[in-house]
Amino acid sequence: MLHCFTLGGVSLVYDVHSHSLHEVDDLAWALLSRGLHLEPEQASSVLLLADGYSRQEIEEAQEEIAQLISEGLLCAPDPYTGYTPPPFIVKALCLNVAHNCNLSCSYCFAGAGSLGRTDVLMPLATARQAVDFLLSNSGTRRNLEIDFFGGEPLLNMPVVEATVAYARERGRAEGKKFGFTLTTNALLLDDQVSRFLLENGINAVLSIDGRPETHDRLRRTHGGKGSHAQVVSRIMHYLELHRTWPDPKGYCYVRGTFTGYNLDFAQEFRYLAGLGIDDISLEPVVAKSEADYALLQQHLPAIAEEYRRLAEDYLEVAASGREIRLFHFEIDLDGGPCLPKLLSGCGAGHSYLAVSAQGDLYPCHQFIGRESFRIGNVSGGALRDDLIEQFRTAHVYAKAKCRQCWAKFLCSGGCQAHCQLENNDILNPPELACQMMRRRLECALYVRSRKEQLVNMEKIV
Amino acid sequence: MAKHIKTITRSPLLKREHTGCGECQTTVGNQTCLKT
Repeated sequence: MLHCFTLGGVSLVYDVHSHSLHEVDDLAWALLSRGLHLEPEQASSVLLLADGYSRQEIEEAQEEIAQLISEGLLCAPDPYTGYTPPPFIVKALCLNVAHNCNLSCSYCFAGAGSLGRTDVLMPLATARQAVDFLLSNSGTRRNLEIDFFGGEPLLNMPVVEATVAYARERGRAEGKKFGFTLTTNALLLDDQVSRFLLENGINAVLSIDGRPETHDRLRRTHGGKGSHAQVVSRIMHYLELHRTWPDPKGYCYVRGTFTGYNLDFAQEFRYLAGLGIDDISLEPVVAKSEADYALLQQHLPAIAEEYRRLAEDYLEVAASGREIRLFHFEIDLDGGPCLPKLLSGCGAGHSYLAVSAQGDLYPCHQFIGRESFRIGNVSGGALRDDLIEQFRTAHVYAKAKCRQCWAKFLCSGGCQAHCQLENNDILNPPELACQMMRRRLECALYVRSRKEQLVNMEKIV
Repeated sequence: MAKHIKTITRSPLLKREHTGCGECQTTVGNQTCLKT
Protein backbone atom coordinates (compact mmCIF):
# COMPACT_ATOMS: atom_id res chain seq x y z
CA MET A 1 0.00 0.00 0.00
CA LEU A 2 1.42 3.37 -1.07
CA HIS A 3 0.51 6.90 -0.07
CA CYS A 4 1.71 9.48 -2.60
CA PHE A 5 1.46 13.16 -1.72
CA THR A 6 3.15 16.48 -2.40
CA LEU A 7 3.92 19.16 0.14
CA GLY A 8 6.14 22.21 -0.03
CA GLY A 9 7.03 21.35 -3.62
CA VAL A 10 8.31 17.92 -2.57
CA SER A 11 6.84 14.66 -3.91
CA LEU A 12 6.83 11.91 -1.31
CA VAL A 13 5.84 8.25 -1.35
CA TYR A 14 5.19 6.49 1.95
CA ASP A 15 5.17 2.70 1.76
CA VAL A 16 2.68 1.79 4.48
CA HIS A 17 3.59 -1.82 5.15
CA SER A 18 7.34 -1.32 5.29
CA HIS A 19 7.24 2.12 6.99
CA SER A 20 9.65 3.40 4.30
CA LEU A 21 9.62 6.95 3.00
CA HIS A 22 10.85 7.98 -0.45
CA GLU A 23 11.28 11.31 -2.19
CA VAL A 24 10.64 10.99 -5.92
CA ASP A 25 11.13 13.03 -9.07
CA ASP A 26 8.38 13.78 -11.58
CA LEU A 27 8.90 10.58 -13.55
CA ALA A 28 8.86 8.25 -10.53
CA TRP A 29 5.85 10.21 -9.27
CA ALA A 30 4.08 9.63 -12.58
CA LEU A 31 4.77 5.90 -12.33
CA LEU A 32 3.86 5.42 -8.67
CA SER A 33 1.02 7.88 -8.14
CA ARG A 34 -0.78 6.66 -11.27
CA GLY A 35 -0.25 3.00 -10.39
CA LEU A 36 1.74 2.47 -13.59
CA HIS A 37 4.33 0.43 -11.68
CA LEU A 38 1.65 -2.25 -11.48
CA GLU A 39 1.19 -2.30 -15.25
CA PRO A 40 3.34 -4.29 -17.69
CA GLU A 41 6.47 -2.23 -18.39
CA GLN A 42 5.60 -1.89 -22.04
CA ALA A 43 2.17 -0.44 -21.31
CA SER A 44 3.46 2.09 -18.78
CA SER A 45 6.26 3.08 -21.15
CA VAL A 46 3.77 3.91 -23.90
CA LEU A 47 1.89 6.23 -21.55
CA LEU A 48 5.03 7.95 -20.30
CA LEU A 49 6.58 8.30 -23.75
CA ALA A 50 3.45 10.25 -24.63
CA ASP A 51 4.24 12.52 -21.66
CA GLY A 52 7.63 13.34 -23.19
CA TYR A 53 9.94 11.13 -21.12
CA SER A 54 12.71 9.28 -22.95
CA ARG A 55 12.78 5.48 -23.09
CA GLN A 56 16.09 5.43 -21.18
CA GLU A 57 14.68 7.57 -18.34
CA ILE A 58 11.60 5.39 -18.08
CA GLU A 59 13.66 2.20 -17.93
CA GLU A 60 15.93 3.70 -15.25
CA ALA A 61 12.96 4.64 -13.07
CA GLN A 62 11.33 1.25 -13.58
CA GLU A 63 14.58 -0.46 -12.55
CA GLU A 64 14.82 1.64 -9.38
CA ILE A 65 11.25 0.76 -8.46
CA ALA A 66 11.88 -2.94 -9.11
CA GLN A 67 15.00 -2.79 -6.92
CA LEU A 68 13.11 -1.16 -4.02
CA ILE A 69 10.31 -3.71 -4.31
CA SER A 70 12.87 -6.54 -4.14
CA GLU A 71 14.38 -4.95 -1.00
CA GLY A 72 10.95 -4.82 0.66
CA LEU A 73 10.94 -1.01 0.70
CA LEU A 74 8.14 -0.45 -1.78
CA CYS A 75 4.80 -2.24 -2.21
CA ALA A 76 5.70 -4.41 0.79
CA PRO A 77 3.14 -7.02 1.79
CA ASP A 78 0.97 -6.46 4.85
CA PRO A 79 3.19 -7.66 7.71
CA TYR A 80 0.20 -8.96 9.67
CA THR A 81 -2.29 -11.32 8.16
CA GLY A 82 -3.56 -12.32 11.58
CA TYR A 83 -3.23 -10.63 14.93
CA THR A 84 -3.84 -11.85 18.45
CA PRO A 85 -4.02 -8.99 20.93
CA PRO A 86 -2.01 -9.33 24.15
CA PRO A 87 -3.81 -10.63 27.26
CA PHE A 88 -5.22 -8.33 29.96
CA ILE A 89 -2.10 -7.10 31.74
CA VAL A 90 -2.20 -3.66 33.34
CA LYS A 91 0.97 -1.65 32.91
CA ALA A 92 -0.16 1.91 33.61
CA LEU A 93 -2.75 3.69 35.71
CA CYS A 94 -3.96 7.25 35.46
CA LEU A 95 -4.90 8.41 38.96
CA ASN A 96 -7.40 11.23 39.18
CA VAL A 97 -6.09 12.31 42.54
CA ALA A 98 -8.23 15.44 42.34
CA HIS A 99 -11.40 15.71 40.31
CA ASN A 100 -11.72 19.36 41.24
CA CYS A 101 -9.61 22.14 39.85
CA ASN A 102 -8.51 25.71 40.49
CA LEU A 103 -9.33 26.53 36.87
CA SER A 104 -12.58 26.16 34.97
CA CYS A 105 -11.40 25.41 31.44
CA SER A 106 -14.30 25.22 29.01
CA TYR A 107 -13.06 22.15 27.12
CA CYS A 108 -11.86 20.05 30.07
CA PHE A 109 -12.60 16.30 30.02
CA ALA A 110 -13.46 16.76 33.68
CA GLY A 111 -16.38 19.08 32.89
CA ALA A 112 -14.79 22.36 33.99
CA GLY A 113 -12.87 20.53 36.67
CA SER A 114 -15.59 18.79 38.64
CA LEU A 115 -16.42 15.63 36.63
CA GLY A 116 -19.91 16.03 38.02
CA ARG A 117 -18.88 14.43 41.31
CA THR A 118 -19.00 15.81 44.83
CA ASP A 119 -16.18 13.99 46.68
CA VAL A 120 -13.34 15.38 44.72
CA LEU A 121 -10.01 14.44 46.32
CA MET A 122 -8.70 10.88 46.21
CA PRO A 123 -8.00 9.56 49.72
CA LEU A 124 -4.56 8.06 50.30
CA ALA A 125 -6.15 4.69 51.08
CA THR A 126 -7.68 4.63 47.58
CA ALA A 127 -4.38 5.63 45.97
CA ARG A 128 -2.61 2.80 47.81
CA GLN A 129 -5.31 0.36 46.68
CA ALA A 130 -4.71 1.56 43.12
CA VAL A 131 -0.98 0.83 43.43
CA ASP A 132 -1.80 -2.63 44.83
CA PHE A 133 -4.26 -3.23 41.97
CA LEU A 134 -1.62 -2.28 39.42
CA LEU A 135 0.99 -4.57 40.95
CA SER A 136 -1.36 -7.53 41.22
CA ASN A 137 -2.57 -7.14 37.60
CA SER A 138 0.80 -6.37 35.99
CA GLY A 139 1.78 -9.95 35.22
CA THR A 140 5.38 -10.17 34.05
CA ARG A 141 5.72 -6.44 33.30
CA ARG A 142 8.74 -4.89 34.98
CA ASN A 143 8.22 -1.21 34.10
CA LEU A 144 4.99 0.22 35.49
CA GLU A 145 3.62 3.75 35.17
CA ILE A 146 1.41 6.02 37.20
CA ASP A 147 0.07 9.31 35.85
CA PHE A 148 -1.22 11.89 38.29
CA PHE A 149 -4.09 13.65 36.59
CA GLY A 150 -7.29 15.51 37.30
CA GLY A 151 -8.75 18.03 37.69
CA GLU A 152 -5.65 19.54 39.15
CA PRO A 153 -3.45 16.95 40.89
CA LEU A 154 -1.43 19.56 42.79
CA LEU A 155 -4.58 20.25 44.87
CA ASN A 156 -3.90 16.86 46.46
CA MET A 157 -0.13 17.05 46.77
CA PRO A 158 0.12 15.11 50.07
CA VAL A 159 -1.48 12.09 48.37
CA VAL A 160 0.81 12.47 45.33
CA GLU A 161 3.89 12.46 47.57
CA ALA A 162 2.70 9.53 49.68
CA THR A 163 1.69 7.51 46.60
CA VAL A 164 5.13 7.94 45.02
CA ALA A 165 6.79 6.72 48.22
CA TYR A 166 4.38 3.80 48.61
CA ALA A 167 4.70 2.67 44.97
CA ARG A 168 8.51 2.82 45.12
CA GLU A 169 8.50 0.78 48.34
CA ARG A 170 6.11 -1.85 46.93
CA GLY A 171 7.99 -1.88 43.62
CA ARG A 172 11.31 -2.59 45.32
CA ALA A 173 9.73 -5.49 47.21
CA GLU A 174 8.33 -7.00 44.00
CA GLY A 175 11.22 -6.21 41.67
CA LYS A 176 9.26 -3.69 39.61
CA LYS A 177 10.13 -0.15 38.59
CA PHE A 178 7.64 2.72 38.64
CA GLY A 179 7.70 5.74 36.35
CA PHE A 180 5.57 8.77 37.22
CA THR A 181 4.07 11.61 35.22
CA LEU A 182 2.10 14.58 36.50
CA THR A 183 -0.09 16.84 34.35
CA THR A 184 -0.71 20.26 35.84
CA ASN A 185 -2.08 23.67 34.96
CA ALA A 186 1.03 25.00 36.77
CA LEU A 187 -0.81 27.45 39.03
CA LEU A 188 0.46 25.65 42.15
CA LEU A 189 3.82 24.69 40.66
CA ASP A 190 5.90 26.58 43.21
CA ASP A 191 9.56 26.03 43.99
CA GLN A 192 8.85 23.34 46.60
CA VAL A 193 6.61 21.30 44.28
CA SER A 194 9.05 21.75 41.39
CA ARG A 195 11.91 20.40 43.46
CA PHE A 196 9.81 17.43 44.59
CA LEU A 197 9.13 16.53 40.94
CA LEU A 198 12.78 16.86 39.96
CA GLU A 199 14.14 15.05 43.02
CA ASN A 200 11.81 12.14 42.27
CA GLY A 201 12.37 12.03 38.52
CA ILE A 202 8.69 12.68 37.82
CA ASN A 203 7.80 13.66 34.25
CA ALA A 204 5.90 16.93 34.07
CA VAL A 205 3.28 17.91 31.49
CA LEU A 206 2.55 21.62 31.81
CA SER A 207 -0.66 22.98 30.32
CA ILE A 208 -0.54 26.24 28.37
CA ASP A 209 -2.44 26.95 25.18
CA GLY A 210 -0.08 29.53 23.71
CA ARG A 211 -0.56 33.26 23.30
CA PRO A 212 -2.19 35.17 26.18
CA GLU A 213 -5.44 35.84 24.31
CA THR A 214 -5.70 32.18 23.22
CA HIS A 215 -4.97 30.79 26.67
CA ASP A 216 -7.20 33.18 28.59
CA ARG A 217 -10.19 32.70 26.31
CA LEU A 218 -10.89 29.19 27.64
CA ARG A 219 -8.53 28.64 30.60
CA ARG A 220 -10.04 30.85 33.27
CA THR A 221 -10.43 30.76 37.02
CA HIS A 222 -13.81 29.98 38.54
CA GLY A 223 -14.19 33.75 38.94
CA GLY A 224 -13.71 34.21 35.19
CA LYS A 225 -10.19 35.66 35.26
CA GLY A 226 -7.49 34.65 32.80
CA SER A 227 -4.61 32.53 34.09
CA HIS A 228 -1.93 33.09 31.44
CA ALA A 229 0.38 35.50 33.25
CA GLN A 230 0.65 33.35 36.35
CA VAL A 231 0.98 30.11 34.36
CA VAL A 232 3.81 31.43 32.17
CA SER A 233 5.70 32.61 35.22
CA ARG A 234 5.40 29.21 36.92
CA ILE A 235 6.29 27.25 33.78
CA MET A 236 9.36 29.32 32.99
CA HIS A 237 10.59 28.91 36.56
CA TYR A 238 10.13 25.14 36.34
CA LEU A 239 11.83 24.85 32.95
CA GLU A 240 14.81 26.86 34.17
CA LEU A 241 15.08 24.66 37.26
CA HIS A 242 14.84 21.56 35.03
CA ARG A 243 17.48 22.94 32.65
CA THR A 244 19.98 23.54 35.44
CA TRP A 245 19.13 20.41 37.44
CA PRO A 246 22.03 17.95 37.49
CA ASP A 247 21.03 14.99 35.30
CA PRO A 248 17.22 15.31 35.55
CA LYS A 249 15.55 11.89 35.30
CA GLY A 250 12.11 13.09 34.26
CA TYR A 251 11.21 14.84 31.01
CA CYS A 252 8.94 17.85 30.80
CA TYR A 253 6.99 19.44 28.00
CA VAL A 254 4.28 22.03 27.58
CA ARG A 255 0.97 20.90 26.21
CA GLY A 256 -1.60 23.14 24.54
CA THR A 257 -5.05 22.58 23.09
CA PHE A 258 -6.20 24.33 19.94
CA THR A 259 -9.88 24.87 19.19
CA GLY A 260 -12.20 26.45 16.67
CA TYR A 261 -11.20 29.81 18.14
CA ASN A 262 -7.54 29.57 17.11
CA LEU A 263 -7.32 27.93 13.72
CA ASP A 264 -4.06 29.89 13.39
CA PHE A 265 -2.49 27.53 15.94
CA ALA A 266 0.95 27.68 14.31
CA GLN A 267 1.11 31.07 16.03
CA GLU A 268 0.92 29.26 19.38
CA PHE A 269 3.97 27.21 18.42
CA ARG A 270 5.87 30.34 17.44
CA TYR A 271 4.87 32.02 20.69
CA LEU A 272 5.91 29.06 22.87
CA ALA A 273 9.15 28.54 20.94
CA GLY A 274 9.78 32.27 21.32
CA LEU A 275 9.63 31.85 25.09
CA GLY A 276 12.54 29.43 24.76
CA ILE A 277 10.46 26.29 25.29
CA ASP A 278 11.96 23.32 23.41
CA ASP A 279 9.39 20.55 24.01
CA ILE A 280 5.92 21.37 22.79
CA SER A 281 2.71 19.47 22.15
CA LEU A 282 -0.31 21.13 20.53
CA GLU A 283 -3.42 18.99 20.23
CA PRO A 284 -6.86 19.45 18.69
CA VAL A 285 -9.70 19.81 21.17
CA VAL A 286 -11.94 16.76 21.66
CA ALA A 287 -15.50 18.05 21.83
CA LYS A 288 -19.05 17.48 20.69
CA SER A 289 -19.79 19.51 17.57
CA GLU A 290 -22.33 21.71 19.39
CA ALA A 291 -19.62 23.21 21.63
CA ASP A 292 -18.81 26.78 20.59
CA TYR A 293 -15.08 25.97 20.54
CA ALA A 294 -15.43 22.66 18.61
CA LEU A 295 -13.44 21.92 15.48
CA LEU A 296 -15.87 21.35 12.62
CA GLN A 297 -15.76 19.90 9.12
CA GLN A 298 -15.90 23.40 7.62
CA HIS A 299 -12.66 24.22 9.46
CA LEU A 300 -10.74 21.45 7.70
CA PRO A 301 -9.24 23.50 4.81
CA ALA A 302 -7.95 26.09 7.29
CA ILE A 303 -6.59 23.37 9.62
CA ALA A 304 -4.87 21.60 6.72
CA GLU A 305 -3.19 24.83 5.65
CA GLU A 306 -2.22 25.64 9.24
CA TYR A 307 -0.58 22.23 9.69
CA ARG A 308 1.53 23.01 6.61
CA ARG A 309 2.45 26.39 8.08
CA LEU A 310 3.29 24.69 11.38
CA ALA A 311 5.62 22.31 9.54
CA GLU A 312 7.42 25.20 7.82
CA ASP A 313 7.66 27.17 11.07
CA TYR A 314 9.05 24.13 12.86
CA LEU A 315 11.63 23.53 10.12
CA GLU A 316 12.65 27.18 10.25
CA VAL A 317 13.39 26.88 13.98
CA ALA A 318 15.14 23.52 13.52
CA ALA A 319 17.27 24.93 10.68
CA SER A 320 18.69 27.50 13.08
CA GLY A 321 20.38 24.61 14.86
CA ARG A 322 18.08 24.65 17.85
CA GLU A 323 17.07 21.30 19.37
CA ILE A 324 13.31 21.63 19.44
CA ARG A 325 10.67 18.92 19.54
CA LEU A 326 7.07 19.27 18.45
CA PHE A 327 5.18 16.09 19.24
CA HIS A 328 3.25 16.32 15.99
CA PHE A 329 6.38 15.64 14.03
CA GLU A 330 8.27 13.23 16.26
CA ILE A 331 7.66 10.05 14.33
CA ASP A 332 10.31 7.39 14.22
CA LEU A 333 10.23 5.39 11.00
CA ASP A 334 13.59 3.75 11.64
CA GLY A 335 13.22 2.36 15.14
CA GLY A 336 9.72 3.07 16.36
CA PRO A 337 7.47 0.71 18.27
CA CYS A 338 7.04 -2.94 17.32
CA LEU A 339 3.97 -4.09 15.43
CA PRO A 340 1.93 -5.27 18.43
CA LYS A 341 2.34 -1.77 19.86
CA LEU A 342 1.58 -0.08 16.55
CA LEU A 343 -1.63 -2.07 16.32
CA SER A 344 -2.88 -1.67 19.87
CA GLY A 345 -2.13 2.05 20.35
CA CYS A 346 -2.47 3.61 23.78
CA GLY A 347 -3.68 0.43 25.48
CA ALA A 348 -6.81 2.06 26.94
CA GLY A 349 -9.07 -0.45 28.64
CA HIS A 350 -6.63 -3.33 28.80
CA SER A 351 -3.06 -2.24 29.57
CA TYR A 352 -3.84 1.31 30.64
CA LEU A 353 -6.72 2.20 32.97
CA ALA A 354 -7.86 5.32 34.79
CA VAL A 355 -8.95 5.50 38.42
CA SER A 356 -11.47 8.05 39.68
CA ALA A 357 -11.11 9.68 43.10
CA GLN A 358 -13.57 7.08 44.41
CA GLY A 359 -11.42 4.23 43.10
CA ASP A 360 -13.63 3.38 40.14
CA LEU A 361 -11.78 1.98 37.12
CA TYR A 362 -12.40 3.25 33.58
CA PRO A 363 -10.72 2.54 30.22
CA CYS A 364 -8.92 5.91 30.32
CA HIS A 365 -9.16 9.36 31.88
CA GLN A 366 -11.57 10.57 29.20
CA PHE A 367 -14.07 7.84 30.08
CA ILE A 368 -14.29 8.81 33.75
CA GLY A 369 -17.90 9.68 34.50
CA ARG A 370 -19.31 7.68 31.56
CA GLU A 371 -20.94 5.14 33.86
CA SER A 372 -21.56 2.44 31.26
CA PHE A 373 -17.77 2.21 30.92
CA ARG A 374 -17.05 1.62 34.62
CA ILE A 375 -14.87 -1.51 34.70
CA GLY A 376 -14.72 -2.06 38.47
CA ASN A 377 -13.12 -0.60 41.58
CA VAL A 378 -9.59 -0.83 42.96
CA SER A 379 -10.95 -1.90 46.36
CA GLY A 380 -11.85 -5.29 44.93
CA GLY A 381 -14.77 -7.14 43.41
CA ALA A 382 -15.33 -8.40 39.90
CA LEU A 383 -14.13 -6.54 36.83
CA ARG A 384 -16.24 -6.06 33.70
CA ASP A 385 -14.53 -8.71 31.58
CA ASP A 386 -16.83 -7.89 28.66
CA LEU A 387 -15.60 -4.27 28.60
CA ILE A 388 -11.97 -5.28 28.92
CA GLU A 389 -12.39 -7.71 26.02
CA GLN A 390 -14.11 -5.03 23.94
CA PHE A 391 -11.12 -2.71 24.33
CA ARG A 392 -8.49 -5.45 24.12
CA THR A 393 -9.76 -6.47 20.71
CA ALA A 394 -10.30 -2.91 19.40
CA HIS A 395 -7.03 -2.82 17.47
CA VAL A 396 -6.33 -1.37 14.04
CA TYR A 397 -7.31 -4.52 12.15
CA ALA A 398 -10.66 -4.69 13.97
CA LYS A 399 -11.65 -1.28 12.60
CA ALA A 400 -12.99 -1.43 9.06
CA LYS A 401 -12.04 2.19 8.33
CA CYS A 402 -8.49 1.69 9.58
CA ARG A 403 -7.57 -1.53 7.79
CA GLN A 404 -7.39 0.20 4.41
CA CYS A 405 -6.05 3.53 5.69
CA TRP A 406 -2.48 4.50 4.80
CA ALA A 407 -1.99 6.08 8.24
CA LYS A 408 -2.86 2.96 10.25
CA PHE A 409 0.65 2.27 11.58
CA LEU A 410 1.28 5.91 12.46
CA CYS A 411 -2.08 6.64 14.07
CA SER A 412 -2.88 3.24 15.59
CA GLY A 413 -6.61 3.55 15.07
CA GLY A 414 -7.43 6.82 16.74
CA CYS A 415 -8.60 7.62 20.24
CA GLN A 416 -11.20 5.17 21.60
CA ALA A 417 -12.75 7.84 23.84
CA HIS A 418 -13.17 10.15 20.86
CA CYS A 419 -14.72 7.31 18.81
CA GLN A 420 -17.22 6.66 21.58
CA LEU A 421 -17.98 10.34 22.17
CA GLU A 422 -18.62 11.11 18.52
CA ASN A 423 -19.95 7.84 17.09
CA ASN A 424 -20.95 5.85 20.18
CA ASP A 425 -18.70 3.07 18.90
CA ILE A 426 -15.06 2.56 19.88
CA LEU A 427 -14.45 0.87 16.52
CA ASN A 428 -15.61 3.86 14.49
CA PRO A 429 -13.19 6.82 14.44
CA PRO A 430 -14.73 10.25 13.72
CA GLU A 431 -14.12 11.22 10.10
CA LEU A 432 -12.93 14.76 10.88
CA ALA A 433 -10.39 13.43 13.40
CA CYS A 434 -9.14 10.98 10.75
CA GLN A 435 -8.79 13.71 8.13
CA MET A 436 -6.90 15.93 10.55
CA MET A 437 -4.64 13.08 11.61
CA ARG A 438 -3.82 12.16 8.01
CA ARG A 439 -2.92 15.77 7.20
CA ARG A 440 -0.83 16.05 10.34
CA LEU A 441 1.02 12.84 9.45
CA GLU A 442 1.68 14.04 5.91
CA CYS A 443 3.28 17.12 7.46
CA ALA A 444 5.28 14.90 9.84
CA LEU A 445 6.59 12.81 6.93
CA TYR A 446 7.42 16.01 5.03
CA VAL A 447 9.31 17.31 8.07
CA ARG A 448 11.16 13.99 8.27
CA SER A 449 12.26 14.34 4.65
CA ARG A 450 13.38 17.96 5.11
CA LYS A 451 15.27 17.21 8.32
CA GLU A 452 17.19 14.59 6.36
CA GLN A 453 18.15 17.36 3.95
CA LEU A 454 19.25 19.60 6.84
CA VAL A 455 21.50 16.83 8.18
CA ASN A 456 23.03 16.29 4.74
CA MET A 457 23.64 20.03 4.30
CA GLU A 458 25.42 20.15 7.66
CA LYS A 459 27.66 17.29 6.52
CA ILE A 460 28.56 19.23 3.36
CA VAL A 461 29.30 22.39 5.36
CA MET B 1 23.21 5.78 -7.67
CA ALA B 2 19.44 6.22 -7.77
CA LYS B 3 18.41 9.11 -9.99
CA HIS B 4 14.67 9.13 -9.63
CA ILE B 5 13.96 7.94 -6.08
CA LYS B 6 15.72 9.02 -2.92
CA THR B 7 14.94 6.64 -0.07
CA ILE B 8 14.77 8.56 3.19
CA THR B 9 14.07 5.73 5.62
CA ARG B 10 14.86 2.10 4.96
CA SER B 11 13.92 -0.01 7.93
CA PRO B 12 11.39 -2.56 6.70
CA LEU B 13 8.93 -3.57 9.38
CA LEU B 14 9.22 -7.18 8.30
CA LYS B 15 12.93 -7.23 9.11
CA ARG B 16 12.54 -5.87 12.62
CA GLU B 17 12.13 -7.76 15.85
CA HIS B 18 8.57 -7.62 17.08
CA THR B 19 8.69 -8.82 20.62
CA GLY B 20 5.46 -7.23 21.80
CA CYS B 21 7.15 -7.26 25.20
CA GLY B 22 4.81 -4.56 26.49
CA GLU B 23 7.52 -2.73 28.38
CA CYS B 24 7.39 0.49 26.33
CA GLN B 25 5.60 3.51 27.72
CA THR B 26 1.89 3.01 27.31
CA THR B 27 0.02 8.52 17.88
CA VAL B 28 2.45 5.95 19.14
CA GLY B 29 4.96 6.46 16.39
CA ASN B 30 6.91 8.84 18.56
CA GLN B 31 8.23 6.22 20.92
CA THR B 32 11.42 4.38 20.26
CA CYS B 33 11.76 0.85 21.52
CA LEU B 34 15.36 -0.26 21.57
CA LYS B 35 14.22 -3.79 20.85
CA THR B 36 12.82 -2.87 17.46
